[in-house]
Amino acid sequence: MTNPTGKVWQRIPARQEGPAPELSTEEIRAIDEERSHYENDAAAGLEALRIVQRARGWISDDSLRAISAYLGIAEAELEGLATYYQLLFRRPPGAEVLQLCRSSSCWILGCEQLQGWLEQELQVRPGETTADGIFTLLENPCLGACDRAPVMLLGEALHTNLTEEKLREVLAEKRRRHADQSAD
Amino acid sequence: MLTITIDGEECEAEAGQNLLSICLARGIDLPYFCWHPAMGSVGACRQCAVIEHKDEQDQQGQLVMSCMTAIRDGGRYSVDAHAAREFRGGIIENLMTNHPHDCPVCEEGGECHLQDMTEMTGHTVRRYRGPKRTHRNQYLGPFINHEMNRCIACYRCTRYYRDYAGGSDLEALGRNNQVYFGRHEDGRLLNGFSGNLVEVCPTGVFTDKTFSRHYVRKWDQQMAPSICEHCGVGCNTAPAARQPGRPGDPWLRRVTNLYNRDINGYFLCDRGRFGYEYANSPARLSQVLERDNVDVIGSSAGEGVLSHREIPPGEGVEAFARHLEDQGPGKHLLLGIGSPRSSLENNFALRTLAGAEHFYAGLGATDLQLLRLVDTIQRDDRIRSATTPEIEQADAILILGEDIDNTAPRVALAVRQAALNHRRQRAAELKIPDWQDAAVRQLPAPPVPIIFVGWEIPPLADCCTNQMIGTPEILVSFAEAVLATIRKGSGDKDILPAGTEASQDSDIGEVATETAQALAAAKRPLVIAGCGARQPGLLRAAGLIATALAEKKGNAVNTYLACPEVNSLGLVQLLASGDMHLERLQGIVTEARQKGTAVTLVVLENDLSRRLERSQARNLLAEADTVIALDHLPNDTTRRAHLVFPTAATPECQGSVVNSTGRVQRHYGVYEGIGFIQEGWRWLADALSASNQHSDSADQIRSWQHCDDVIRTLAETLPVFSKLPAVSVTVPEGFLVARQSHRASGRTAIGSARHVAELPPPEDTDAPLSYSMEGIHDPAASTLQAMIRAPGWTSNQSIHQFLHGINGPRIGRPEPVTLQRTTAPLPHWQSVELHGSRHQPGENKDAKGLLAIPLYRLIGSGELSNSAEGIASVMTEAFAKIHPADAAALDINQGDEIQLSLGETSLQLQSQLDFEIAPGVIGLPCGLPKFGDIAALLPSQARIIRVIRYGQKMEGDDC
Repeated sequence: MTNPTGKVWQRIPARQEGPAPELSTEEIRAIDEERSHYENDAAAGLEALRIVQRARGWISDDSLRAISAYLGIAEAELEGLATYYQLLFRRPPGAEVLQLCRSSSCWILGCEQLQGWLEQELQVRPGETTADGIFTLLENPCLGACDRAPVMLLGEALHTNLTEEKLREVLAEKRRRHADQSAD
Repeated sequence: MLTITIDGEECEAEAGQNLLSICLARGIDLPYFCWHPAMGSVGACRQCAVIEHKDEQDQQGQLVMSCMTAIRDGGRYSVDAHAAREFRGGIIENLMTNHPHDCPVCEEGGECHLQDMTEMTGHTVRRYRGPKRTHRNQYLGPFINHEMNRCIACYRCTRYYRDYAGGSDLEALGRNNQVYFGRHEDGRLLNGFSGNLVEVCPTGVFTDKTFSRHYVRKWDQQMAPSICEHCGVGCNTAPAARQPGRPGDPWLRRVTNLYNRDINGYFLCDRGRFGYEYANSPARLSQVLERDNVDVIGSSAGEGVLSHREIPPGEGVEAFARHLEDQGPGKHLLLGIGSPRSSLENNFALRTLAGAEHFYAGLGATDLQLLRLVDTIQRDDRIRSATTPEIEQADAILILGEDIDNTAPRVALAVRQAALNHRRQRAAELKIPDWQDAAVRQLPAPPVPIIFVGWEIPPLADCCTNQMIGTPEILVSFAEAVLATIRKGSGDKDILPAGTEASQDSDIGEVATETAQALAAAKRPLVIAGCGARQPGLLRAAGLIATALAEKKGNAVNTYLACPEVNSLGLVQLLASGDMHLERLQGIVTEARQKGTAVTLVVLENDLSRRLERSQARNLLAEADTVIALDHLPNDTTRRAHLVFPTAATPECQGSVVNSTGRVQRHYGVYEGIGFIQEGWRWLADALSASNQHSDSADQIRSWQHCDDVIRTLAETLPVFSKLPAVSVTVPEGFLVARQSHRASGRTAIGSARHVAELPPPEDTDAPLSYSMEGIHDPAASTLQAMIRAPGWTSNQSIHQFLHGINGPRIGRPEPVTLQRTTAPLPHWQSVELHGSRHQPGENKDAKGLLAIPLYRLIGSGELSNSAEGIASVMTEAFAKIHPADAAALDINQGDEIQLSLGETSLQLQSQLDFEIAPGVIGLPCGLPKFGDIAALLPSQARIIRVIRYGQKMEGDDC
């Protein structure tokens, strides 16, 4: 560490520049790109969280600390953001994220029963991940597909007009695929 | 004035206010949660809904949130309407669904805003039968408990902590029904004002952890108004006490805020709130001690330490009396050493006892010089000492060298509020009322210029528009440049004094010009400086800048000159001359001893080893024939005294103190205390009465029975204190103000384990306050009533009922008593050449030398608060802070032990490398335990003798 100006007089202490050790070069490039769009660095906090999650699957305490150090945002503030958005994961999610729609149309058409069945089948409550690490169950306020209710998002695929039968098939298919992968 | 109708009753109200504050100010019971008088409205909780009618014909009206409703002329509102009541009932029922209803084991119980509001709304039966959400609580440090299940999500805590106090480690986490107010991880809340969460939270999420250890309900506490003794700001507090019911319980239970609009408003700093525990310290002196003939053996005791034995108080007084006799020319010399942390009464009694010519300040020469400078500057009538509301309204602030976050914390909190003033102004232009907190905070507006110059980046940095760090020499030349620019009234650079740092460094010149322009352009500029920096040059410069501004503007300019201790400014007024400092005393003692005259030193509540370099203090004490010390806690001085008298701590006695702005305030005894303690002046008076001394002053002292007698004599003796008797609050003839509530329990039972006799409550001979539940309870009837509660309002949020309007002065509070100082421009301090006070780097300047300068810490620099259990548990480790560039040049790494020499003193401290300290200086912590005397040595050139590498034991390489 050296004094950047070498002068006795200093306006503002220099923040440690250079990449924080925990963020990858690609992540930093993407974050810098985002923050160039905003007036202050704090505004890029949410995007930074998304970038890191995209790269690592979830946001660990270390990742949070790294973003905090890099953007100069308080850790608590980032934690507030990360815990507000349910799709920012502060714990590693399962390989498949199920988002079951809980809107009024889905409710009329029986999403509660479906949710009950799912919870029973997977042995999880909303927000939890199955013991085998395959499925994470989340509730979603509305997926915007009320005409095909009840609906569910699995990863990025929308599954419509759900029934227990359909759910059983989907789960079985995913389980098979993961079993194959782990066998390979 | 507008005319509005509330529930059919017509009333007048000031335009621009919100309906909630008007209702509350009128004494209407309207429940609310998220609103706070200091933080305005956000309309989050929906609890204060009322009906607004369009006109007289409109019977139905519509629901509005009163905190978000600006009143309109002719407006018709109904708080009592059925629809409004029903709505409010629904809101609280909903808020309470997850509340654990654990009032019997909750520390908020009995003073809980949520309890009050629930009762007020009439929600007495719980219908919800579903499961409640539960949270894991966090460890938030030794001061604050966390019980998140009690939360009703009003967001007051984060609005206070983050928006008002500038904290960055408490946030609203999660969402919906799972919202959680906490830190990102377990750990101490780092903001220095975190303790206010205890009062800001309307329920029991944040409670006082120090209080938990010896908890009692509010209705069982006894309270009296007091003054915080931990710095010179003079915040008003309401300490709470209760007779110990169990062995091990202390008398003093906690400290809460006592509203005083001009000083602390609703908030205290953490040192003030949690520092009270020193009075409960097991080390407290409670007996008269006399030197024992046994010598202390062993190296740990330190040189000159005497062993003591307890003696009966009467014997002690007799022994003291013998030392007062046979004084006089050629006989025996008695010298009094006063203290800036002791009351006017105590100091004046010692002054009278020893004679003004033998009464010394108990301060080193530099400390005294700084205080006298503050006093002199404040006497200039072009300068006003700002109250807290005035600081909050400032529209340009220059902070010159003083780390107010750590030396006058409440002032720093006020400065933080000023940062929003341009937004408030913009809001006014847009016709947005200033209580619309969220709207005002988001308005785009240029920041209020707040310029900090010092040697360490302060906690306040985030709201400073410009911060500069440099050596004291650079700061003085910066101040000169600001002064020159203000005087010349233009931004030309060539007017900067030639040959100074400022004229050579364009950066300094540029910022100085900007600063001068900002101050000159401001309507309400404020200049802040203080004694903490230990730079007379900076204090003087602050005075000169303020007067130059005043000349320009044609009216007095606000300043805040921070004094270090609770009665610093009062002590200075008592001195016979300006050089009654310890260095001079030392000379007198030496001289007397050479002549063979016996010398007795009477040291009043003062630890000389915090005022002088430790060995110097020890020499002084060793040289005197007799040392008589009076104090609360044992310290370096009492350990070397021949006679030690235990004195009452601030919450245990009555006394008057002068704060940094020259305001005299009085603290009252909250409880009597344990052991043979009494006020210092009473010990002195007792000793004198037991002696055969006869003189006018001796007779005067003999005549003193009460605190007010001392005050009266003081007012007659010194014109500066002529208004002093007005500080005594009177109550109607025949009445007393009750320290306890009507509900105080256990009066006849609490002591029954020890004795069966029902003893009458003790009497207070000094104040019109009773030590029982008999007397005046209504805080509106007397300002001596410190227990703030009203029918239906058990928490101290009820303070609004006892004020002239929301945020107004307290009902019945008399005009503040100030020092009657001659207020005329005093040219002599202006003529002092600024350069004269500059630090001259030593002639034998060697390459390894850095200028050692003082640093202060909220937790750690307070002499008394360091003995508080909670504070002691999080004490900062002593450190030496160095800029990394300097450290590199000196080959010092982070964490190395460095051995420094300051003059003849040698210190060993751990290095801390930080860009936040100016290059060229080395920051040393002041007032930390074991390093109490560092301040007395600063500023001075430090020589680094050797560095012991981090991790290595004893062998270090000599450098």
